[in-house]
Amino acid sequence: MRNAVDAFSSRITRDGETLHLFLEGDANMSAVEEIGRTLEDVHKAARTDPTSLVLVDLRNLEFMNSSCFKKFVSWLGRVQELAGEKRYMIRFLSDPNMHWQRRSLHVLQCFAPNVVSVVV
Amino acid sequence: MMTAIPQPSDNRVYLELAFHPTVVLTTAVRRFVSNFYQQLLGDLDATSRLAMAAQELLENAVKYTSHGETMLRIELDGAAGIVRIHTSNRSDAAHIAILERLIGEMRAAPDPFAFYQGLLRSTMHDVEGSGLGLARIRCEGDMQVDLSIDGDLVAVTAWAHTEPRVSS
Repeated sequence: MRNAVDAFSSRITRDGETLHLFLEGDANMSAVEEIGRTLEDVHKAARTDPTSLVLVDLRNLEFMNSSCFKKFVSWLGRVQELAGEKRYMIRFLSDPNMHWQRRSLHVLQCFAPNVVSVVV
Repeated sequence: MMTAIPQPSDNRVYLELAFHPTVVLTTAVRRFVSNFYQQLLGDLDATSRLAMAAQELLENAVKYTSHGETMLRIELDGAAGIVRIHTSNRSDAAHIAILERLIGEMRAAPDPFAFYQGLLRSTMHDVEGSGLGLARIRCEGDMQVDLSIDGDLVAVTAWAHTEPRVSS
């Protein structure tokens, strides 16, 4: 059973060549494995069926700790390593009122500028 | 360049918690830290950075405390214009050695952002113990990180200059 203060959930949907990943709640230590599995699922889905874009919706994500953040870094690294025609773009949807998102997403954009874009 | 650690003044607002940290508690305490600093600073961005620092420090305590309790002190030193988040806990020699190395490298790095990016790149396939939390505090939190060790007692202090909204 999840506690109210650490509730985290994720959901993946597809719309044509776009995958949507919705993350909600608090991505603390208890969410690390789930985020890792979810990003693995997204990566597999993007490679299995034609995918040009993954939209990652963080607008309902209150916080992400460094262990979860690292899962994103690993994912971005894997996408960067794909050959050009297999590579897909990743666009983060963020909430400007969640100040951590601006800083953390800037870091991700600098880490993988050829893959990541951010929408505020 | 090493930064001199400002000494605490007598004009401080602070709160200490002694507890055995759990995952649930780290999130609850992060929210408490956020409220504490929002009341004192009135700056949502600064509050967000401090809450993130508290969460990262407490999660390190959850992962690496060998025995006993963890102490958290959150502080605004109004006279010095400094905020401090301090954790202390007991840890094993191997983890203490890793902390000493990482914080030493971090303090010696001339560009915190470049250091952070390099650490992300070099550890992206590591499973555990990359030290990203501390580098995140230094870079995303724009805070200094200091370490002191007394036997197996490890104290980590994250601090930054700030402007308080209300008199402390």
